[in-house]
Amino acid sequence: MSVVNSGTRPSLSPGQRPGSPRKRQRGPRLDITLAGQSKLAPYLFSAPAIVTVSLLLAYPVLYGLYNSLFRAPSLGAPEEFVGLENYSDMFADPAFWHALVRSAVFVFGCLILGLILGLFFAFALNRVIRQLRFLRAITIAPYIISNVAAAVMFRLVFNSDFGLLNRTIEFFGFDGPGWLSNGTLAMVVVIFCQVWTDLPLTILLLLAGLQTIDTSYLDAARVDGATGWKRAWHLSIPLISPQIVISTVWLSYSTLTGLGVVLALTGGGPLKATQTLPMEMYSTAFTDLEMNEALAIASFILILNALLTLVYVTVARRYGTVE
Amino acid sequence: MSAQTRSRSQRTPGERFVAAVRRRLRRTGIWVVLAFLAVWTIFPILLTLSISFKTRADVSADPGFIPSNPTLQGYASVLAQEGFRSAFINSLVVGLGTSVLTLALAVPAAYAFVRFRFRGRHLLLLFTLLPRLIPGLGLMVPLYRLAVWLGAIDQLLTLIVAFTGTVLPLAVWLLVGFFQHVPRELEEAAMVDGAALPKRVRYVVLPLALPAMITIGVLAFREAWNEFNLVLALTSSPGSRTLPYELFLMTQTTGFQNNPGQAAFAIMTIIPFIFVYLRIERFVVGGITSGAVK
Repeated sequence: MSVVNSGTRPSLSPGQRPGSPRKRQRGPRLDITLAGQSKLAPYLFSAPAIVTVSLLLAYPVLYGLYNSLFRAPSLGAPEEFVGLENYSDMFADPAFWHALVRSAVFVFGCLILGLILGLFFAFALNRVIRQLRFLRAITIAPYIISNVAAAVMFRLVFNSDFGLLNRTIEFFGFDGPGWLSNGTLAMVVVIFCQVWTDLPLTILLLLAGLQTIDTSYLDAARVDGATGWKRAWHLSIPLISPQIVISTVWLSYSTLTGLGVVLALTGGGPLKATQTLPMEMYSTAFTDLEMNEALAIASFILILNALLTLVYVTVARRYGTVE
Repeated sequence: MSAQTRSRSQRTPGERFVAAVRRRLRRTGIWVVLAFLAVWTIFPILLTLSISFKTRADVSADPGFIPSNPTLQGYASVLAQEGFRSAFINSLVVGLGTSVLTLALAVPAAYAFVRFRFRGRHLLLLFTLLPRLIPGLGLMVPLYRLAVWLGAIDQLLTLIVAFTGTVLPLAVWLLVGFFQHVPRELEEAAMVDGAALPKRVRYVVLPLALPAMITIGVLAFREAWNEFNLVLALTSSPGSRTLPYELFLMTQTTGFQNNPGQAAFAIMTIIPFIFVYLRIERFVVGGITSGAVK
C-alpha cells in the first residue's frame, strides 16, 4: 500500500489533462461557477482527510523523532531528556550493526531477485494477448495474501522433514538441507518469501510500462535486424526505466521496512541470521520494552528509507530516464 | 510481424527456415517463462491447500501431492479455536469499517482537490509524499504509545482509524486521478438545469465514480484484512486480535506443530477474499496501475 505513487509528479491542475486542447479555453472561470455556491465547500470537503493523514501519519513520526531523544532510566520510571544518547548508544551497539548488515543483504537480495523475475515475467506477459487476463489474475494472487499467511506457506514448502522441496531432493538421492535451521539458507528463504509477496505489484508496474511502448519503435528495430534480446536490452528497458526506478524504490521501501515476513517465517533466527533492522526495532520495543531506544532505530530506518529513495531518483535523473 | 511479411519474399528457403525456428523458439521461451510464473505463484498455495486436507501424521507419512485420505480435521481444529472465530469476526468488522471510513473521507477530499481552486490544494502533495516516507513500521511504536495514553488499546475502532490513516493517501490519490477523467461538462449541464452541489454530487458524480469507489473499498479492505504490524502494536488481549496476528500466534507454539491446521488457517484467510477479488480484478488492476503510472 501507499507504494505505487512514488517517483511521479502529482498534477495539481484540477480537471485538466496535460496536452488537452480544451485546457486553455477552460479556466478559472468555470471553476468559479462550479464552486460558486460556497467558498467553504472545498475546505469542508478536504479537511477531514487532511486532518486524519496529518494526525495518523505525520504526527506519530514527529512524536517518534522527539521521543527518541528521551529515555527512562529504569523500566516504568519517568523519561528524561538525553539528547542524542539513544543514537550514540545505538551506533555503539554491535547488535545494531549486525542488523544493518542483515538488512543490507536482505534488501539487496530482494531487489536483485525481484527485479530480474519481475522483468522476465513482465516481458513474457506483454507478449500474451488472449490469455492475459487469466494470467494476470494468477500473477496477482500473492497480492491478496497477508505476509503472515505467505510465511506459513513458505514454512510448509521449505520444511526440512516433509517439505516438497526436500522430498524432491531426496528423490534424487541427496539429503535436503534444513532450510530454516541454516543461517544462510534461512536468509535465502526469507528473501524468496518477501519477493513472492512483493512481485505482483512489481510485475504490474513493469507491465504497465511495457504496454505504453509505441510498437513502431520495436518494428523499426526489427527491420534494422535487432534480435529479441537486443530489442529488449537497448529499447524496451531504457523506455521503461521510469517504471524500473519506481519498482526499485517500492521494492527497497517494502523490504527495508518489512517486518511481517521475517517475523513469521524465522523470527530473526536461526542465531539472529535474519535479524534485520525492523526485527531489531520490534524486539527492542516489544520484547525488551525499551520504547525510546526502539524509536531511535525506527527513526534511523525512516531516514535511511528517505535517503535511498532520494538516491534512486537522483541517479535516475542524472541518466535522464526520469523527468 | 509486418517487417517479416514484407521481406519474406526476398529470403532464401534456408533463411526462412531459420526464421521459422527462431520464431517457434521464441514463442516456446515465452510460454516456458509464463509456466514458471504460474508455478512460482500457485505452487505454494496449492501445496498449502494439499497439506490442509491431510491428517497431522499424514503430513510426513503421506508424501503425495493429492492427499490419499483427505480429511477436514485441519479445518475443524481451526474452527474449534475460539481465537480463530473471534479474529475472523474482528477482521471482517475492521475491514468493512476501514473501507467505509476511507471512502467517507477520501471521496469528498478528492472531489475538492479536483474541482475546486482553493488555498491548501498544494496539500495534495502531502498525500503522495507522506506514505512514501512513513511506512507502517515507523508508526508501530508511536501509535502504540498514543493508544496506551488514550486508553485505546485492544479496541476495534482504534484499528479502523489507524488503518484508515495508512490507506487514505493512496485512496485520495487514486480518486483524484479518477475524478480528473469525469467530464466537467456533465456537471455543468446539471448545474444549468439547476442542480446544486449536493444534488450534482449525488446524481452525477457518485454514480460515475462507483467503479473507482469499489476499487478503493476493496483495496482498503485488503489492507485492513492483511495488516500485521499495527495489529501487533495495537492489540494485546485474545478477543481483539485480527486474523494475521492469530495465525502468527499459532505458528509460535512449540512442540508438535499442527501443520494441517496452520495450512487450513492460511487458506481460510484467503478464501473469503478471493471471491470478491476475482469479480472485480479488472478494476483493481486498473486502480493499482493507474495510481502508479500517473
